[in-house]
Amino acid sequence: MNRAALALILILARAQDPLAEEMAKALRSIRDTVGKSVVAIEVVRGEDPEGDTGGGPAAAHQDYYNRPLGPVTGTILTADGFILTTAFNVSGEVKRITVTTADGRKHEAKRLGADRKLDVALLKIEAKDLPVLPRAKPGEAKVGDFVCVVGRGPDISVATVNQGIVSALTRRGGTAIQTDVKVNYGNVGGPLVNLAGELIGITAHIYPRAHWGQSSGVAFASKNEEIDKVLEDLKKGKDIAKPVQGPWIGALLGEPRAGVEGVPVDQILPNSPAEEAGLDSGDVIAAVEGKTVKTIDEVKAALAKKKIGDEVELTIRRLKRDGKTWEEKKMKIKLAENPN
Amino acid sequence: MRKITLVMLALAGLAARQEGGAIEAAQKRLREVLARVTPAYIFIDGGSGVCISADGWMVTNHHVAGGQKVWPMRFSGGKEGVADLIGWHPLDDVAVLKIRDGKDLPFVPLGDSDALRVGDPVIAIGNPFDLGAGNWEPTVSVGIVSAMHVYLDSPGYKDAIQTDAAVNPGNSGGPLFTMKGEVIGINGRINPRFMNRVNTGIGYAIPTNQIARFLPHFKAGGRQWGGHLDGVQVGECGDDRFENVGEYGDGTFIHGIDEGCPAEKAGLKEGDILYSIGGQRITNNNRCFGVVGAWPAGSVVPVKAKRWNAAKKAFEGFETKLLLGSVEQMKEYYAQAGNRYYGFTPDYYHEGAGFKVGEVDSGAPGAKAGLKPGDLILEAGGKKLANWVEFRTEMGARKPGDVVKLKVRRGLEELEPELTLGERTLSQDQIGQADRRPPKKKDDKKKKDDDEDDDDAPPPPPPKKDEKPK
Repeated sequence: MNRAALALILILARAQDPLAEEMAKALRSIRDTVGKSVVAIEVVRGEDPEGDTGGGPAAAHQDYYNRPLGPVTGTILTADGFILTTAFNVSGEVKRITVTTADGRKHEAKRLGADRKLDVALLKIEAKDLPVLPRAKPGEAKVGDFVCVVGRGPDISVATVNQGIVSALTRRGGTAIQTDVKVNYGNVGGPLVNLAGELIGITAHIYPRAHWGQSSGVAFASKNEEIDKVLEDLKKGKDIAKPVQGPWIGALLGEPRAGVEGVPVDQILPNSPAEEAGLDSGDVIAAVEGKTVKTIDEVKAALAKKKIGDEVELTIRRLKRDGKTWEEKKMKIKLAENPN
Repeated sequence: MRKITLVMLALAGLAARQEGGAIEAAQKRLREVLARVTPAYIFIDGGSGVCISADGWMVTNHHVAGGQKVWPMRFSGGKEGVADLIGWHPLDDVAVLKIRDGKDLPFVPLGDSDALRVGDPVIAIGNPFDLGAGNWEPTVSVGIVSAMHVYLDSPGYKDAIQTDAAVNPGNSGGPLFTMKGEVIGINGRINPRFMNRVNTGIGYAIPTNQIARFLPHFKAGGRQWGGHLDGVQVGECGDDRFENVGEYGDGTFIHGIDEGCPAEKAGLKEGDILYSIGGQRITNNNRCFGVVGAWPAGSVVPVKAKRWNAAKKAFEGFETKLLLGSVEQMKEYYAQAGNRYYGFTPDYYHEGAGFKVGEVDSGAPGAKAGLKPGDLILEAGGKKLANWVEFRTEMGARKPGDVVKLKVRRGLEELEPELTLGERTLSQDQIGQADRRPPKKKDDKKKKDDDEDDDDAPPPPPPKKDEKPK
């Protein structure tokens, strides 16, 4: 056997990296096929009722006023002009919605219903023979499967393709798939598809936890079959609210630790009541309304007794600058609605 | 005959390519690997861990499980258990636990992290934002190795693997795998942005080879200590203040060596260039501290160095064995160092009596005493000082709050300021949280082993000590 020739063949085969090449080819094909069913949505809104300060406890759930201007993404559901997007994209005081299809045509769109639990909204444009995506079989996707999200924006004439894998299957009470595809404020509302270009779900549930344009590698898509369940209601223009989650302070709490009395605060969400009040990560919540708390559930139970808009008094312990001694403080936090 | 074989090979290659089998094969492999390794994933306190043996040894971060002795835990899927904290290493952010009554548990043995290379695809499994709580399904994300052998400031991620696989709060302590399903790192830290603990494409993992070196010590129990270069002052190769120091990247240049220290006993001398420690190539000071710290204190490792031969006008290489500090010494040092805080660093290049002040932190004890960079400190508490080490030894008997009279020369002036010793203010997140600050930049030339120890001062105790593991 001619060893040199064999080595050459092996080297050539390696250099061509069939996986990378095939993947790129598959993604280009998805851009060309799936891209036809992905639309750009431009939304004109009224003034932010909170003003444009970007602050205030309520600001977190009005991210859509604060987000950078630019088109967002939607997915064609039917040939006769029903379009799905994330509810976030068309929330607020919406004055006009313009949908641009892949052929460059602009359509005035009507916002029908929305489901806050799935974070999807249904739009309607006057059109026919729109390209509809084939669907993946429910339950077919497995953790680790290659998937991608197709979006439009900032240049609406170009479809964008971001690739990743399925991270988990049972998020949001089983209604959503989790993926590490980078989903940002431009492509959210676009379709999550497998490499065969089949629709798995609609990307949704953008978090105020990340600042503008930043994907944490944790993204969600509401599953086709879950959207189907509410589709008739959405067509009728129904706004399905999410189950009331009770008042919210916007702090992530940690499990109590040995040696620390109370419930530690792990993280403060931006623009939350907790941030407004000056609560800090590392603080320990010792009492709510004067009542000692020892577990996260006790904090939640104490907050649940209050109403949105009420003030709640927290007793917190904070590590002093010396890193050793703790000081006790009382602070009042005005409870808001949970935006998530 | 040969030609036929070649043609057949080529055809087989083409056929495989035309079928588009590569994606399918990769997809199949990934599903298989995940099915095999995911069961060994562990949920613990909102964070992550991984089981590394059938009888229940598990690894996680110290900042996840170091704070308490007994932990409830769950395997991927929700099977509950209880784990005891056995060994911990706060400065490396590693904790090793043993699951009670462990038998036939799902596990993945530690893989060879040194075989990993930049660009290799990797898989992270974790519990970002505690999303898995309740249904106990962990999160899987993939990415590549962005960098190897990353040396991070305190706390010491000495030999970190950097990855762009999505790693977020809650991934801490969780495993990083190769595409073959070998665990090669423990994810523990991210570089966040805007004070927001959210992945930005920069995650760090502690390599399993480092953990494996400590594993027998972890299993034996208690706090662990990393190695250090005792009594050696090092500088970067290529530093033009010295002669025959080679080029930057050659290794670490020894510009000072204390009498009787392990390095001297090993036959090393001032002027030597260390370029390999424990089989790892040393390219600069960061790598040197990284490699040394990634061995347990008390290890004796082979080192390679080269020495300038003036007659031949060339470097000559040699090998020896070096003791990387001792556990007793580290314990003593930490007991002695306490929480004293000076708020200034010395200029390690000063020669002659006393020591020169390098940098002064604003608002800190040194600054309050009026010290300025370049001040020559000759005496402390009435004792003449030969060097910085003597100053620290002298301070060893004192507590925060004590006042020390200094004798300082500044140009022609002689001053006698009073230094009130401060207390170190390490906040909780410096113990090893996926922290909210970028690592602070430091002048490499000012680095040396002492300096590193400074950063690695023990964390503040929690308000109540009773339940701290003994």
